[in-house]
Amino acid sequence: MRFADLVALNIHDIKNRLAMVAARAEGRGDTETVHDVLGVTAELSRLLACYKAEAGQLQPAIDAYCPQYLVQELIADYQHLTTPKLEIDTDRAPSSWYYDENLVRMVLANALQNALRSARSRVCISAVEDGDWLEFRIHDDGPGYPDDRLQTAQATAPMSQEGTGVGLYLAHKVADLHTNHGLRGEVRLENDRGAVFRLRLPV
Amino acid sequence: MISPNEQDQKRFLVVDDLAEMRSALRTQLGSLGYNNVAIADSVRMALEHLEQQGPFDVILCDYYLGGSTDGQQFLEHLRSKKLLRRSTLFIMITAEKAYTSVVTAAESLPDDYLIKPFTADTLKLRLQHLMDKKARLIKVDQLQDKERWADVITECDTIIASGDRYKADAMRIRGQALLACGRNDEALAFYQKVIDIRPMPWARLGLARAQQAMNQFDDCKATLLTLIEEAPQLLAAYDLLSRVQVAQGEPDAALQTLDKASSIAPDSLPRLRAIAKVAERQSDFDRVKTALHRVVKKTQNSPLRDTRDVAQLSNAYAESGEPDVALSLIDEARKQYKSDLRAPELAAVEALAHHKAGRTEQAQAALAVALQADATSLTPETAVNLARACLATGKQDAGEAILKQVMQNNPNAVELQTHVSDVMSTYASPERASALLEECVSEVVALNNEAVRLARERQYNEAARMLSEAASRLPGNAQIVGNAAMALLTDVYNTGLDADKLRRAVQFQQRFQSLDPSSTKHKDIAELQRRIRTRYSSAS
Repeated sequence: MRFADLVALNIHDIKNRLAMVAARAEGRGDTETVHDVLGVTAELSRLLACYKAEAGQLQPAIDAYCPQYLVQELIADYQHLTTPKLEIDTDRAPSSWYYDENLVRMVLANALQNALRSARSRVCISAVEDGDWLEFRIHDDGPGYPDDRLQTAQATAPMSQEGTGVGLYLAHKVADLHTNHGLRGEVRLENDRGAVFRLRLPV
Repeated sequence: MISPNEQDQKRFLVVDDLAEMRSALRTQLGSLGYNNVAIADSVRMALEHLEQQGPFDVILCDYYLGGSTDGQQFLEHLRSKKLLRRSTLFIMITAEKAYTSVVTAAESLPDDYLIKPFTADTLKLRLQHLMDKKARLIKVDQLQDKERWADVITECDTIIASGDRYKADAMRIRGQALLACGRNDEALAFYQKVIDIRPMPWARLGLARAQQAMNQFDDCKATLLTLIEEAPQLLAAYDLLSRVQVAQGEPDAALQTLDKASSIAPDSLPRLRAIAKVAERQSDFDRVKTALHRVVKKTQNSPLRDTRDVAQLSNAYAESGEPDVALSLIDEARKQYKSDLRAPELAAVEALAHHKAGRTEQAQAALAVALQADATSLTPETAVNLARACLATGKQDAGEAILKQVMQNNPNAVELQTHVSDVMSTYASPERASALLEECVSEVVALNNEAVRLARERQYNEAARMLSEAASRLPGNAQIVGNAAMALLTDVYNTGLDADKLRRAVQFQQRFQSLDPSSTKHKDIAELQRRIRTRYSSAS
């Protein structure tokens, strides 16, 4: 058995057991534990996806999905938060777009978690159609990305000296897998009175 | 938004082998106001629920079901046996999407995947979104269930023109409908257009199917090779490629293709069965045994078990010099399944095995059991086995009659004709083989000519009787079935209203529609029906 399979199999089993823990916690109304478990399983999924991306085995399953629905589902698990305030803007979102919903959700959920950690009072998540591109944007009002992060935004290694960087690495890999008619998806990090994470997917 | 009242009307089925997950899901659904929830701990129980309490609005099924059958195989079984209305939402629950990303065909995909763990809030939103989609597509779904393809296409066009978020779903369904009703050149152009915008795997597969239907085999192969390159997980591409390779007389290449697919999805039953089928024609019985042993093992004690797998496995042993192994396999099956006791599939192979072992009497006895079956209900494979048993034991006329029936009932199955020809060459002679093929064709021609002659002599009733009889005997022969519908209607038009004849005419017409949807004869039938209505409504 290849190591990738072994890892995948174990993560699968661990996630199953964590799902059980989450179910029990939800059953007794323990929201905090539920969200802790969700965070851990999301991290495991990202790790596995990273491993696959490294091994060239990350196959996107691209289909037509509704960006508005995706944004709504992303914030569903944070409804209980009072601060920071979560805003969504899907007025300029296309009715449907082609992407791998599972992978894009994984990337955006991670960016959203980071934004929630850095934000002072609010986080805005939006989906905007911009010519040949669909742009998912997560904007917080925190201190913004450190300069070195902005400079290494194109980092292609999962490990950087600043930290694990799994999330950003995966974001780039996922963006890379979205291509059409010579256009390729991209991730952009910016500071604009806070940090702006942008995932751009071609038509 | 759904009113509380509507929530209670939504009927759920939860399938999971773990008791704790079942009750957790039920609690989550309950907290969302969905209280009409049936629970199943296995595929068997789920099938019972579907039979006794179905149809359900939503099925939530875990990918891992503990036994030898997983959620994907369960779904494929439901779809292939038409046990699911299209309006039922099938949601696959899994801990890791990557594990389920291997798919047999777009038709066997669940409506959605839910990745564990998820909160009640997430479940609520997802259900709402999926129910909105089903509501938007309800008309298309119902028309598809009724196989009214022309109406499906019109309805899809409306949705596509509206440009709403379900446009892509409507496009996919539109292509399938074009293929289903034989509008292959339109399908080809449509898929080409879709690919130019975005080369979606379903569009490439559709294009390949259209090319295959139009006998553009080289183009079809090229399309499939590109598709396999782009989407190596789409097993349907390998399946279609292997069929085209077989049709083009490249069985070795076909087996290679299927082996490749099997290495991606080692547990896929349809693929193992396909390998066995191709290998059998190649007399590669070791390969047949390997593939079917796995199928038999995997479907043991499962509702997905199929007697024909045991029959073909036993046949492989009988053909490779181990008739007693074949017989013990058959015995074993009969001990476990009472329904197998008189199964013609097994009795035919039993006769062959006894014959190979030199036990003439037992062979005759087994054959007698097999011959009691209704010949029109047998699959071509079983019928050919039965014919082989007849030919091997000296019942040449009975054997030839069965082969003739099979071929006349499947007039366009080139592969089957080659197979029958091989069988005849082995058990009789190559000359007799080609003579039989000619008789098959000339008999049908003579039958049609005779019907035309009778109609000219105004013996409408006799023409209708003759063609109806032939159409009941050969329900797969489009020409005969279509002519039977025409003859019955002509009879009614000329000799007077007859409810029974009209009813049978409609049955044949519907069957003809599904056998040969692109025939120009449908217009003639419709015109005749119109004339019947005019004549008898003005008379009354």
